[in-house]
Order: sequence, then C-alpha cells, then structure tokens
Amino acid sequence: MKPAPFEYVKARSVDECVDILERRGAEAKILSGGQSLVPLMNLRLARPEVLVDVNGLGELAYVRRDGGVLEVGALTRHCELAEGAAVQQSCPLVSSAASRIGYPAIRNRGTLGGSLAHADPAGELPCACVALGAEVAVRGPDAERRVPAGDFFVSHFTTSLVASEMVVAVRFPVIGPGQGWAFEEFARKTGDFALVAVGALVALGGTTVEGASIAVSGLGGRPIRLPAAASALLGETWSDELMVATGAAVTAEVAALVDEPAEGFRPHVAGVLAARALRDACTRATDEEVPRGK
Amino acid sequence: MRRCHVASSRHSITTRVNGAERTVEVDARELLTDVLRHRLALTGTHVGCEHGACGACTVVLDGKLVRACLIFAVQADGADIVTIEAFGSSASNLHPVQAAFWEKHGLQCGFCTPGMVLTAMKLLEESPTPTEEEIRAALSGNICRCTGYVFIVEAVKAAAERMVSEGTTP
Amino acid sequence: MTDTVSAVVQPKLFGARVKRREDPRFLTGKARYVDDIVRPGMLHAAFVRSSYGHADIVAVRADDAERAPGVHLVLTGAQASERALPIICDSTLDGWQSTQYPALAASRVLFAGQGVALVVADDRYLAEDAAELVDVEYSPRPVLSSVEKAIAPDAVPLHEGWIDNLFIKRHFRGGDVDAAFAAAHGTLELDLISHRHSGIPLETRGCIADWDPAEELLTLWTASQTPHLVRTGLADVLGLPESRIRVVAPDVGGGFGIKGHLFPEEIALCLASMQLERPVKWIEDRVEHMLACVHAREHYHRIEVAYEEDGRVTALRALVRVDCGAYSVYPWTATMDTGMVLGILPGPYRIENYECRAYSVATNKCPHGPYRGVGRPAGCFSIERAMDEVAHALGMDPFEVRRRNLVRADEFPYTSVTGLVYDSGSFLEALELVLEDGGYTEMRELQEQARREGRLLGVGFACYTEQTAHTTTEFIKRGVPIIFGYDSAIVRMDPSGDVSVQVSSHSHGQGHETTFAQIVADELGIPMESIRVSFGDTASTPYGHGTFASRSAVLAGGACVLAASRVREKLFRFAAELLEANPDDLDVGEGKVYVKGSPQFNHAVSDLARWTYHRPEKLPAGMESVLEAVASYDADPGGGTFANAAHLCLVEVDPETGGVKLLRYHVVEDCGEMINPLIVEGQVHGGVAQGIGGALLEEFVYDEEGQLLSTTFLDYLLPGTTDIPHIGVSHIDTPSPFTLKGIKGMGEGGAIAPGPALASAVADALSPIGHAFVNELPLTAERVRRFVAEAKRDGSRSQTAGS
Repeated sequence: MKPAPFEYVKARSVDECVDILERRGAEAKILSGGQSLVPLMNLRLARPEVLVDVNGLGELAYVRRDGGVLEVGALTRHCELAEGAAVQQSCPLVSSAASRIGYPAIRNRGTLGGSLAHADPAGELPCACVALGAEVAVRGPDAERRVPAGDFFVSHFTTSLVASEMVVAVRFPVIGPGQGWAFEEFARKTGDFALVAVGALVALGGTTVEGASIAVSGLGGRPIRLPAAASALLGETWSDELMVATGAAVTAEVAALVDEPAEGFRPHVAGVLAARALRDACTRATDEEVPRGK
Repeated sequence: MRRCHVASSRHSITTRVNGAERTVEVDARELLTDVLRHRLALTGTHVGCEHGACGACTVVLDGKLVRACLIFAVQADGADIVTIEAFGSSASNLHPVQAAFWEKHGLQCGFCTPGMVLTAMKLLEESPTPTEEEIRAALSGNICRCTGYVFIVEAVKAAAERMVSEGTTP
Repeated sequence: MTDTVSAVVQPKLFGARVKRREDPRFLTGKARYVDDIVRPGMLHAAFVRSSYGHADIVAVRADDAERAPGVHLVLTGAQASERALPIICDSTLDGWQSTQYPALAASRVLFAGQGVALVVADDRYLAEDAAELVDVEYSPRPVLSSVEKAIAPDAVPLHEGWIDNLFIKRHFRGGDVDAAFAAAHGTLELDLISHRHSGIPLETRGCIADWDPAEELLTLWTASQTPHLVRTGLADVLGLPESRIRVVAPDVGGGFGIKGHLFPEEIALCLASMQLERPVKWIEDRVEHMLACVHAREHYHRIEVAYEEDGRVTALRALVRVDCGAYSVYPWTATMDTGMVLGILPGPYRIENYECRAYSVATNKCPHGPYRGVGRPAGCFSIERAMDEVAHALGMDPFEVRRRNLVRADEFPYTSVTGLVYDSGSFLEALELVLEDGGYTEMRELQEQARREGRLLGVGFACYTEQTAHTTTEFIKRGVPIIFGYDSAIVRMDPSGDVSVQVSSHSHGQGHETTFAQIVADELGIPMESIRVSFGDTASTPYGHGTFASRSAVLAGGACVLAASRVREKLFRFAAELLEANPDDLDVGEGKVYVKGSPQFNHAVSDLARWTYHRPEKLPAGMESVLEAVASYDADPGGGTFANAAHLCLVEVDPETGGVKLLRYHVVEDCGEMINPLIVEGQVHGGVAQGIGGALLEEFVYDEEGQLLSTTFLDYLLPGTTDIPHIGVSHIDTPSPFTLKGIKGMGEGGAIAPGPALASAVADALSPIGHAFVNELPLTAERVRRFVAEAKRDGSRSQTAGS
C-alpha cells in the first residue's frame, strides 16, 4: 500500500505553515506525528496534495504552567504527555489517557495537536480534553482563537478547524486540591482503539460532590459531555450506590443523545465505565497525596 | 478510477544510518522502510502491514523507537537511524540481546525478530531490570505469529541478567 | 530396512534441546525473504482487485493505465485466460462439483478482492498509481454473503453447471445411531459457530517470476511452504513441463498452512514475466492479504448428543457446514475442513454410534483453505463443549464425564467409529497431568477468593487427539487429487566428510536446519556442525510435498534417517574392507567408523570420504565413488499417528463489559519421541497463541454485499504480549509404534484446544450467575454480554424453580 504522490514542505515557522494552508486549502494537510495520517495515506484513503511537515517547529513543543492552566504545545508527543512529570502532576487525566494510545513506538511520534485535529471518534485525547473542559488554541492567517474542546470536535474525523487553521496548543485546567480524576476505557486488546472511553473529574468538599464533569467517547462520532448526569451529582454524598446510579444515568443520557437503545453494548459499557471512573475519581479526590497520572 | 494530479516532489536527504552518512535522492512519498530496504540494501527491517500496527518495521530514529512504515524518508533528513544491521553480524559477535534470543529460542520464522530485538534493546537501555509485566508492556506493539511470546520474554529476561552482571549497556 | 534402523541405540543429539543452527541470519537481519531478493532488470507488479462481491465484468479499459508513467504492461483476465488454464483442484469423491479459479478474473468476479488485472511498472508506487487508472466496468449480481444465503432453497448456484452451492456433501454413518438415541437417558441439541479467521503470517505473500527465454526456464521465487506442489501446479496451468520450471521458496516469514497453495497471483506474475522477458516481483500488501489470500475455520455445527445417566456419550449426530468461499484451493480441494471434521469429531472418546453430514458451501467470499489444525479446532470445540453440556445436564464434574468417555491406554490401538486408528496415546493421563502441572487446585482457590471479592474467574480445559503425519491411505480416503504420501531427502557426503542434506519439506519457523541435522548427525556419527540442511529449491531438492499437516519430523525426518543410513552402509562396507571386519560388527560415532567392542580399530569418516572420491583404488570391488543416497519415506500404515494433548486455563470475565482476560495457560502434550524439545515447545506456544487469537480476537467480518470489513490490523486484531500469558508446557511421550524413532507430528496441535478451553472457562466464570452455553468464537465482548444475559435468565429460572 503506497501513498499517492504529494509535494512535501518542511515548515520553518508556524506562520509559514498557516500561509501554506491558506493558499492550498483543502489540498494541504499537516504532518505531525503521522501515526494516524500516514496509515490513511498508505491506504490511499487520504490523498493530500501538499504535506506540511511541522516536526521542525520547536516552538510548538512545550509544556508550560500558567497559573491554574497547563499549556501544552501542539507538537508535544504522546510519550511526553504520558510520562512527563509536569503533565502527570498537573493533568493526570491527560497522562492517563495518553498512556493508553497504541504502543510505545506510536507514542514516541504521535502528537497532541495531531490527535485533536484528526478527531478520531475512538481517540483518548479528545475525550480527555472534553472531560476537562480544555481550550484548543487555533492559529489562522488572521488571528489566534481559543475553542472550547466541547465545540472543537464536531463529528467523525471532523473538527471546527477551517482549512487555513492549525492547532498550536491546548490549555488544560490544572488539577487542584479536593479534585479527583479518572480515565477508563474498554478496548478489545491493549493498545487497540477504545470502543468506549470515559473521562471523569470530580471536586469534593468532604464527602459532598461539589463539581463533576463526565465525557464519553465511542458513541456519536465525537466526545460527548454529559451535563445532566454530572449535575445530578452536585450536592450528593458520594457512595458506591451513587456511582452505580450515575452509571445508569450516563447510559440513559448518552443513549438518548446519540439515538441508540440504552441496552445496546456501547451505551451500557459507557455507564459501567462511568461508574468505575467516578468511583476512582472520588477516591483520588479524598487522597491526600499529590495526584499522579497513570 | 482515480488519477493522481500532482507529482511527488523530489528531495535529496542525508541521514546517518548505523553510523554512516548516507545521501539519497527520494520522492517525497517514499516510505522510510522502502528507502532503507531497497535504496540502502538494509533488508533487515521488515514490512508486515504498512499501517503501523505490527512492529516488524521498528527502527530507532534519533534515539527513539519508531515505525519506519509511518515515516516518509524525506522526514529523516538530518536524522540518526539505527537498524538491526548495526549490531552483531554473525554467530560470533552477537549483541547480548541477540544471543539471548538465540539461546532461548525466541524466534521461529524470524520475520518479527529485528523489530522485536531492537525494542528489547531499547527497553533494557531505559530499564535494565524490567519485570515480566514491564517486558510484556514494552513489547506489546510487536506482533509475533510464531512463538506465542513465551520464549521471547524469557530471552529478554536472560539478556537483562547477563547485561547487568557484565555491566554492559545496550 | 526399518529393522536395521530401529536397532540403533537411541543417540545423544536426538532429544536434545539444541539451539537452532539457522538463527544467526534471522537475528542479524541477514535472512533472505522474497522481498529481499533483487534480480537484474526487475519490475514491480500491483493487482487491480474487484470491489464487488459478485459481478459480471462488462469491460476492462486499460489504455490510461498503459500510458501511465513507468508502466510496462497491463495484463487483463481475458489475456491471461488465453495463456494459462485456471486452477482446478477436484476431489475424487462422489458428488464433487468443480470450480475454475482463474489467474485473473475475465468475465466474472466471485469475491471482493479477486484479481482482475495486473499492472507491471518500474516500482510498486507507480504500479499502484496505474492500477487506479484501470477502468473496470462491473454489472453487480446478487451476493451470496453467507452459508444461509447459499443454501436457501431459492439460491442461484454460483458456478456454471452446479445444481446447488455445495462443493461436496459428505455423509458418514457408523454403529446404530437411531437406536442409541432412542435408548438414551438424555439427549442435547447444540449449535456452535466458529467464525472465519486465518493464519495471518507476519510476512505477506510475494513472488518474483523470472522467465529466461534463452534457457526457456521459468524461475519463481515465492514465499511458499510447498515449492514442488507449486511447480507441479504451474506446469499444469502454464502448459510448461516441470523440467522447465524452477520454484525457489527462500526464507519464509510464517505460513501456518496458508502459504501452502498455488495462487492465481503466482500464475499472473509468471505470465507477465514470460511476456516481458524480465523478472517481475509482486509483494502482497496487508490489505490484499486480508482480502484475497486464503481464509479458514468458518464452521457451523449442529450437534446432537445422546448420553447415559453415568455420563457415557453413546451417540453423536452432526450437521456440519463450512463456508468455503468461492473457489476450490490447490492442492487441497474445498473438502479439507469438512472431511477432517467428519472423521475426527468424536475426538479421543469411545463413541461407537455416529452420523455426520458435512457440507462444503460455496459463497461469494475469499477461498477457504487449511490453517493450522484445519477442521480440528472446530471439531474439538464441538465435542468438548458437548461433553461440558452433558456434565451440566447430569450435574456431574466435567472431568468425570471425560474419564468415562476417553479411550484408555489399554485400548490402543483403538479404531474409532470412523475408521481412524488411534495408534497410541495418553488421553486420560494428559488430562490428569494438566490438572496437576497446571495448578488446577490453586486455580479453584483463586476463583473462590475472587468470588468473595465480587470478581468472576473461570477455569476451563479441553483435550483432543489429532492425526499427524498421515500419508497415503488417508489422503486417498480424503479424495485429494495428489496423494501427499511421503517426503524425501538426499544425503550427500563430500570429500571432507561434511554432509549436505536436501529435503522436500520446507522450514518456515520449524527449525528443520537443526532437527534434521541432529538426526543425521546421529545416524552418521559426525558432529552437527558438519551437516548443512537445505530446502526450498526444486532444482536441488528431491520431489516431495512441503511442510504442513504436522508431518515433517516424521516424514522428511524419516527420509533423512533412511538416506543417511544408506550412506552409513556404504561407509561401513568401505571400512569393513579396510579393517577386515564384518560390516555388521561396525558402529559409528565421534567422527569414526569403529569395530564394536574394539574401538581402537577405526577409520575417520573424513578419511573414508576423501578416499572414496580421491583414492578410489582403495574401494572394495564394485563399490562406486558415491557417498550419497536419496530416500522417500511413507510412515506405515498411512493413516498417520495420533498425538494428543490437554489444555487448562484460567480467565477473568468482567460481566459488565464482557471483557475476557486470560490469566494462565498450561498444556500437557504427547507427541511421542521428540527430536528437539525446545522446538516442540516453541511450536506448542505458537499454536496456542494462534488458538487464543481465534478464541478471543480474530474474525473476518463480511457485510451483506460481500464486502470484507476486516481489511487491516486495525479491525482484525492479533494477540500480543499482553493478551497471551505465560504458557506452561509439560510432556508425556508415548511413542508411535509405527514411525521411525517413534516420532509423532505436533506442529498444529497447540491451536486445536484453546477455543473450547476458553469457552469452558468463560462458562465456568459465569456459573455463579447461571448457566450459559458458550458456543461462539471469538468471544468478543458483545457475545460475552449475550452469554451473561443468558446466564442471568438461567439463574432466575433456577431461583424461581427452587422457590
């Protein structure tokens, strides 16, 4: 399986990259990690006429703490997200999600920006971003804008990026005291794409849930935030029964949102994973140790 | 029917492969696997799927394990690449990891072996005394259809023990 | 001959865990697989493949492709059909309906992915570009995308002249089945499904065809397990005599049966090379491999079991359907799976009343062929699950049911109801030993502990016997057109006393370069290092059949023993003359031929060799200057020798997600005497891993239109290091009374039992919830969820019944 022909350009700056995107529009594609794009190109399912290689853009590879925000450059590799101390400490949910992606050799190349722009409905990082309410920093020819993750993912392999835009960074909220997180997924085997994944965040005051966020991916083409199930937790005392009930609520809510029967495999598993994720998140929220990602 | 509207751009690249500088003219779309195998005659790196799922094409690029089938050769300009051919070349000068695979019957048809051996070497470089769980996790992206992995895991353990006792680094 | 050989004292390299001679080239990246071979002036090919499951080809327009950059040739089906016959592989059995599998489809395509045209260009990239320009106009026809559709009363036969969509209908009846069912304490009717999957070697197929017009010699390098059979097949379809064809199977990256075929692609490449008079290479890509190589193991069984109150199974009825895809494969025919299940379904059990109807069904899918175990995995799945269900119906321990039914040591040789002669074995002993060595008691303790924590662990087991190294009489029974009755070896000693062995088998992971050197070293009393074993090149190896069906150690190994013993005889004759001794008083060892009891009277083998060739005046009168022999070996009685094994496993089931995690696995295997236990264990591990893959992960899914949905490793999952646990292996050796050295074959065995072992473990894990009949492989999460629901229904029924 050999790719169709294309012109290759190694971008020397973000501006140059954006400029090419603007001029060549839909014919151009950014090459970052290549772990999702190149298989599609080898299969001739993707046939960009211009490939803009951004791997030389060192200015996009960074992890920076900015108060309550961790800003991560688009070129940051999955292995850095999974194993780097800064991300593990500030955004353990992201680390955990990234550690499930493929295999070590894949994680050495795959990038944050690439994963988000690719928007694989089974992708772990999109789910994590939506669960966290992260912001995606997007650069276009005229301006840079910040898109809430929930608005960034539109559908299967489709984001709100226009052809002349590229992801340059993602801003994640840093986990704080009293907060807990969890990332659960169900895949057929280790490293395979998740059939269903759940990202969950809770904030506890004592044993009372003061904040919650749940996102599910694997249904409906893009990660789905579940505001109803999350808000039903507010003010409740956390317990195993509460988590199980929330799991059922997640199943019902997600099934309704994607118009599938609740007894179907994926809605059911979404609820099961959500219950487990919330249980883990609450356990971590009450833990006095510094949260570690894994 | 599908016509290709553009021609591939051509590039001259220079890479360091197994310590030697190599300069090659490539089409943009030529995969690193094809350039290594057919332009540089380094056929030890194998092609099992061309979509990054099997690990047969694993090489080390700028010190990291990568799938050569997912890298265009043009991207390797200025890079440092290590393939299986960088190590022992015969029965008498095998690297400890190669020797351990031999001792422990960690190969049958041999097709996955170069990728498996390089991945094991990298593991031991980063983690000289891995547990079985760590070994299996590190090799999880390398498919073998012949061995069922049992003797591969034993080979990596044996290599680790030998290298620690000899004080050698991978 | 046999008497002389078996009189040799069991030598020291036989049975030794010798590391493999061949490994250095694989470890250093110096092996030569077909894609590593370069021929001067070589061109590259890509196929145009059908995107329809069933369609007429209305037109093929190649002009744009022919004009594309770097293109040398576009070969269409119409052109190919003028220069090559289709592949025809007909069973000799009654009722067989024949197919013609063309090198390239000319008027009709019968499965999605079937080759329609071949493009030859300067490189594969350009060939693929041009392949996209070949304009094929199809007129779609209704697709028979399943057995159901193919056997429906109104189904249109796929093939010309066929009365239905059955390649063959097999029927066997033995004992008095009706009476046994009528008299039985209980009966069960069970449906079982094993979904389509295949061997999926890591190296795809590939070949280089090189027609030399001056020599009128066609050379084909091809990744094959069966080079001579490929040569014979090519001769038939190309109309070239075999003497004008040379097939070379180099290092091959895994086969598992899948690479033991003559493929249409090989024929197309030969035609292209003959037309262009240049070497042409084709390396299959992974998508092509999934679409169009050979699929396997798609079985639908309906089993009826009659049993007594004490757990004895007295009768079995079976209806077996195998989805054989569109064409009969060469050289096996589309009868392999059905015929094998027919014969082996009763398994290692004493079941004297048995009836089986087995059908090979034609559908619009990739052709179906033999893959490691062939029909045995599905057969074992059925009989083992049936035994477990009998145990459940009677409230008996499933091991107890096995004990009541297994053929015992004192019954060997045991002729099964289907006429298979189980020559020797350890059916019960292996089962008992696997419980011990596999830690059954500890597994139950872990299960108990897990239950207290609210987790579900399950213990499962399965056992089988398998026919190996079967030869003449068996293949005649099976009705294959070529009887794979033997394999062959040439043993040749050179003037230095070193030996080259050329065998007709083909090692693609099995270590023949080591194991055959081990046995020849013992026969000739010389070190292994002075023996070089080679195979794969039909120009230099004796005719034989290749490696498949767990036979090479017995047959090719046996041929090596025979040929080496003939060379040894010559050495003895020469030495006897020089030592003024009787040849019967001589023995060989440590590089010397010596007088038994007086080893100081000896001659070095190397001296004898040098003198034979360079000092012929020293030879006895009438002895030729030849230290070479060729032999072929057919292990009597031709019905093969039966190996057996028992598998035990521990799983964890997550009833909420349907996830199954395999925690422990142990095998007790009995393959008689072993040449090299290290290699035997490697084969067991590999077979088990593939069996686990088929039980948990691997499945080819076709849609209603005959489109294959599993075309990459992103859809079709292979087990990795975190899916396969450590596999413990224990050995029993019950030698075969028939074969040279008492060896039995064993390469396939590991793949036979994991399906039922895992299914029974999953059922056991769910047993606190209720009973589910786990009857479908692979055990995907969705299917396991279905079994959980079934267990829940059973559980609540039992509760209601109990209250």
